[in-house]
Amino acid sequence: MTAVQVVFVLLSLVAVVSALLVVTTPHLVHSALWLVVTLGAIAGVFLVLAAEFVAWVQVLIYVGAVVVLLLFALMLTRAPTGPQPDLTVRRWAPAAFVALLVAVLLGATLVAGFQDVRLDLDQAVVGSAEVTGETVFRRWVLPFEVLSVLLLAALVGAIVLSRLRSEDGDD
Amino acid sequence: MAGSSTTLQTAYFGSYVPLLAIIVVGVLLVFAMFGGNALLRPSHATPEKLLTYECGVDPVGEGWAQTHVRYYVYAYLYVVFAVDAVFLFPWATVFAGLGWVSVAEMGVFIGFIAVGLVYAWRKGVLTWT
Amino acid sequence: MTTLAVSPLLSESVGDFTKPSIEYFDLSPLLIIIGVALAGVIVEAFVPRRLRYVVQTLVAVVGTIAALVMTVFVALGLEPRGDNAGFGAIAAEGAIAVDGPTVFLWGTILVLTLISVFLFAERHLEGGVTAFAGQAAALPGTEAEREASTKGLEHTEVFPLMMFAVAGMLLFPASNDLITMFVALEILSLPLYLLCGLARRRRLLSQEAALKYFMLGAFSSGFFLYGIALVYGYAGSMNLGDIAEAVSGTIGADPLLLGGIGLLAVGLLFKVGAAPFHAWTPDVYQGAPTAVTAFMAACTKVAAFGALLRLFYVGFGAARWDWTPMIWVVAILTMATGCVLALTQSDIKRMLAYSSIAHAGFILTGFVGLNAVATPGTAELTSLQAVLFYLVTYGFMTIGAFAVVTVVRDSSGEATHLSRWSGLGKESPFVAGVFAFFLLGMAGIPLTSGFTGKWAVFTSAWQGGAWPLVVVAALLSAVAAFFYIRVIVLMYFSDPVGEGPTVVMPSVLTTIVIAVGFAATVALGVVPGPVLDLAAHAGQFVR
Repeated sequence: MTAVQVVFVLLSLVAVVSALLVVTTPHLVHSALWLVVTLGAIAGVFLVLAAEFVAWVQVLIYVGAVVVLLLFALMLTRAPTGPQPDLTVRRWAPAAFVALLVAVLLGATLVAGFQDVRLDLDQAVVGSAEVTGETVFRRWVLPFEVLSVLLLAALVGAIVLSRLRSEDGDD
Repeated sequence: MAGSSTTLQTAYFGSYVPLLAIIVVGVLLVFAMFGGNALLRPSHATPEKLLTYECGVDPVGEGWAQTHVRYYVYAYLYVVFAVDAVFLFPWATVFAGLGWVSVAEMGVFIGFIAVGLVYAWRKGVLTWT
Repeated sequence: MTTLAVSPLLSESVGDFTKPSIEYFDLSPLLIIIGVALAGVIVEAFVPRRLRYVVQTLVAVVGTIAALVMTVFVALGLEPRGDNAGFGAIAAEGAIAVDGPTVFLWGTILVLTLISVFLFAERHLEGGVTAFAGQAAALPGTEAEREASTKGLEHTEVFPLMMFAVAGMLLFPASNDLITMFVALEILSLPLYLLCGLARRRRLLSQEAALKYFMLGAFSSGFFLYGIALVYGYAGSMNLGDIAEAVSGTIGADPLLLGGIGLLAVGLLFKVGAAPFHAWTPDVYQGAPTAVTAFMAACTKVAAFGALLRLFYVGFGAARWDWTPMIWVVAILTMATGCVLALTQSDIKRMLAYSSIAHAGFILTGFVGLNAVATPGTAELTSLQAVLFYLVTYGFMTIGAFAVVTVVRDSSGEATHLSRWSGLGKESPFVAGVFAFFLLGMAGIPLTSGFTGKWAVFTSAWQGGAWPLVVVAALLSAVAAFFYIRVIVLMYFSDPVGEGPTVVMPSVLTTIVIAVGFAATVALGVVPGPVLDLAAHAGQFVR
């Protein structure tokens, strides 16, 4: 086992264990914080797989922005921060069964599909910002531009849903 | 994995060795500081010490306060601009090759989001009330 | 040990970076609609409140008409690809296919959008305001809500949001690669989630509908995305043409491909409301403002079926024998669920929701027709032609029927409970007559467009050898006819309960919608020829 593989296995272990903690911890906020660890470990896995840009996107967007959004959403609720065992304990058996089933199905599909495929790290760093830039700004320029429409629609929607009109003015 | 000692790979992983080192040192530092603290300090645990410190006054209620939904827009604006910023990195790498075309592409993208920002501004979302 | 295929695209060096080409003319309907949405946001930001409603409506109507006109020009300018290979071209660096079916679907979506805008703009029924919440952030039943309603506030943002959704709907069936398709799926869904939660009356029901739609929709998007990943792993490309090539080069079943097809199908079948992914439909159709229900029942279904057709006929066309059994099962399940559960409904909007599920099943029947490729000059109906035609008939009937639902009211808003509809035939024979006609159309009675639509999909399926499916579908149509006719009987042969339903005279806007829906249902029932020909002329998908 090379050093890279050792790091990969360690990161995967961290990701899996913290993902389990996300769904088993009775504290909602702890759950969100464990999610940070999971997403961070997955970013590390991307990094080891030479998908450099994707890894940093993962850190910036998921570990940074999405978790912040999640925590904000938690703070909007009236839910107490104390342990909430009924959120995690109730009906754990069917939940575990479904999760296991999904994991086995997807795992089997991936293993069956990719068992002969090896990533050749000598060729190029496939997930670098250069490669991404080249594809996004040429091949996928239309979906890229349309993505900004999505962001705009979501922004307008968020404001419509959340803003109480101030009593004065015209707006 | 064939040819694992090629220069490209070494350079790629080599560039992340300092990062790994910083993470390891950072984690060790935390343990060292808390460990040293625990070794050196006297330990007289009382329930009062476990209370939340609220400027010397006894804490009231819980640590949890429900926030108003309008603050969600700030979090959301942050997400929008994080996504926006992420696209700037690959853009910077192709800028030299594509020149003004890429400026136009990025301009359209940011322009759309800027319209959203103008809308937010006109709706008074950006003022802190 | 193979090496992970680096697609040719990635291996090109940065040096020969060429300018991406965007065919602005071919994409003009889409670009116009995006521009209209953008203009709507700017109007919302700068135009004084009292003018906003008028300006927004005008912008939306004029923009949609402009997009429609451009669609016609694009349709006239489509280049034949020679040798029975359809019309049109791949545009925007391979992201979009502007071909016959695309233009046909664009036209359909834009016409349906235009009349939906009228429904959105209806202000007469609520006494001078639109049917959308005055202030979405105000909690139901609070002082803030009462204040918003006394001040006559209204969210005119619904118009730009609707246009965003339309932009997604135009992009969805036209997308020629999976990434574009996913982006389109999100753009069409997100504004719809929001619009569902903006009802002025029964706001808790509306918000519940929005949340349910959002949660399940996000879930189905996840399925879709995972499907993309698997298909990419299989084909090494996101492009539908490349996927088709990879599929036709494979012998036997590949788990990655089958898994990918399955997951992508889940994502799309959710959007069209096919069983077993239909559970959201009744709740959402019931809770959403009726104008939004009409819009999404008609336009989303057209767009999503267009995308489903393109993905399965272009991308997975060569794996047809792998997915046909799945479509059979889903079609039968969907028709059965829709027809049987519609019998038990006591709410008119829920009943129409189950009816739309049943229609999704009938459309899926047309999916398995034999020839996806048209042979010109023969009397054969291709699957594509039949499905496109059915979508048109279904869209007009649905919008018309929901438009009628908006005008039957009592003191608490729309009277959606079925018992409130009893005796409507005596109260206002005209509205009841129109509604009865729409119901007969949905049941597929001859001389309505519903009959010709069903005839088209059943014929194409029969010619494709799927006769057992056609027999089941015909039996289930008979079951479906029962619940449509039950409502007609209720309207004409029952006595009004209590003070009875009242029909509020709508403004000219809703009247136009009902009239257009009615006219289309009659016209397509009596002379289906022109639209069927148009669907046949659309040819096939280019790749």
